[in-house]
Amino acid sequence: MELSDWELVRKCQAGEMSAFEELVARYQQKVRIVILGVLRDREDAAEVAQETFFRAFRKIKSFQGDSSFYTWVYRIAVNVAIDWQRRKKRNPLEFRDTMDAILEERHEVAKDPYADVHDKELRERLATAIEELTPEHKAVIVLRTIEGLSYKDIGGILGCSEGTVMSRLHYARKKLQDKLRAFL
Amino acid sequence: MTDCEQIRESLGTWLDGELGRFEAEAVRSHVEKCPHCGEEKRQLERLQVALRSVLEVEASRMAFAPFWNGVQCRIAAKRSWFEDLSDWLSSALTPPRLAWAVPAVIALVLGVWSLDSFFYSGRSGAQRNNFASVDSIDTYGRNVALLREDETKTTVIWLYQNQEGENESSGDTDEKRPSF
Repeated sequence: MELSDWELVRKCQAGEMSAFEELVARYQQKVRIVILGVLRDREDAAEVAQETFFRAFRKIKSFQGDSSFYTWVYRIAVNVAIDWQRRKKRNPLEFRDTMDAILEERHEVAKDPYADVHDKELRERLATAIEELTPEHKAVIVLRTIEGLSYKDIGGILGCSEGTVMSRLHYARKKLQDKLRAFL
Repeated sequence: MTDCEQIRESLGTWLDGELGRFEAEAVRSHVEKCPHCGEEKRQLERLQVALRSVLEVEASRMAFAPFWNGVQCRIAAKRSWFEDLSDWLSSALTPPRLAWAVPAVIALVLGVWSLDSFFYSGRSGAQRNNFASVDSIDTYGRNVALLREDETKTTVIWLYQNQEGENESSGDTDEKRPSF
C-alpha cells in the first residue's frame, strides 16, 4: 500500500532516508517544471531543484504538517528560484535559445508538440514577454497555468494573500496580452 | 469605470473559477451579450493555451537517478558557515522584510545613540531632550517611515513601494480586487 506524504514525512523525521527518496521521486518533476517556469533554463532548474530538496531535507524535522508537503516544497522551490534569478540575471537571447532547444526536443519525442501554439512567432514573442515579467509574476503564472493550483494554495506557497495572487495574475496576464495582442 | 472595464478586470479570475457564484453569473451573462468582452475572453483563453504550451516542458524525460544522486551529494557535502549564513540571509531578508528592516535598524541606532547621550548628559548635569520616532503609512503599496532625532535635528524619511506598484497592501486584507 502506498504511504501518504505525511506518513513518509514522519518516517523521514525519524531518520529514514528511503522515505525522503520516495518524496523526492514523487515531486521532483513537478518541482522542476515550476522552477523552469521561473528560471527558463534547464540546467539552472535542475540545480535549483536539487538545492530545493536539499533544503527540504534539512528543514524536514521542523515541518509540522500545517500545510501539505507539496505546498511546503513548492514554497521552498519558488523562494530558491526567485533568489537564484535575482543573483544571476540571464541574457534573454540565451533564454530564447534554451526555450527553442526544449521545444525542438519535445518535437522529437511528442507527435504533436505544437498542438496548442500554431504560430512560431507567437511562441517566440510569448517566451520573450514571459522573460520580462518579475520572478514573482512568473511564479503565479506557472503555479496557476501548469499546476492549476487555487489562489489559496498559490498564496500559501508564495506567502501572500489570495487578493495579491489575483492582482499579480491579472497584472501578468494583462502585460502578456498587451504584448501579444496582434497574435492572439 | 464602465461595466465592460469591470467585467474585463474579472475575466481572468472568472476563467480560473475563482469568482463567487453571483459574480461569475454576472460575468458570464455579460460576456455572452457583449462582443468586445467576448473577444477579450477568447484572447485570454488563447493566451492560456499558448502559455501552457510554452511553459510545459518534457517532464517525462527527466531521469530520477542522477537527480537523486545530486541531492544525496548535497546532503553529504559539508557546507561552510558562510554558505549557511548566506542561505539564511537570503531567505530571511526578503524585499518586504528588508524594506522594514532598514528603517528599523536606523531607528535602533538613533535610539541607542539618544539613550547614550541622555545618560551622558545626566551625569554631566546638562539639559538634553533627545528622542527618535518612527511613523509609517501603508496604503496602496506605498510606505513612508519617518525617523526624527531632536538633538542633531536629523530627520530621515524612508519612502518605498511594494512590488513595482502592484497593490501589495491587499495582502493584509484579502481584498479580491485587482488594482491595475
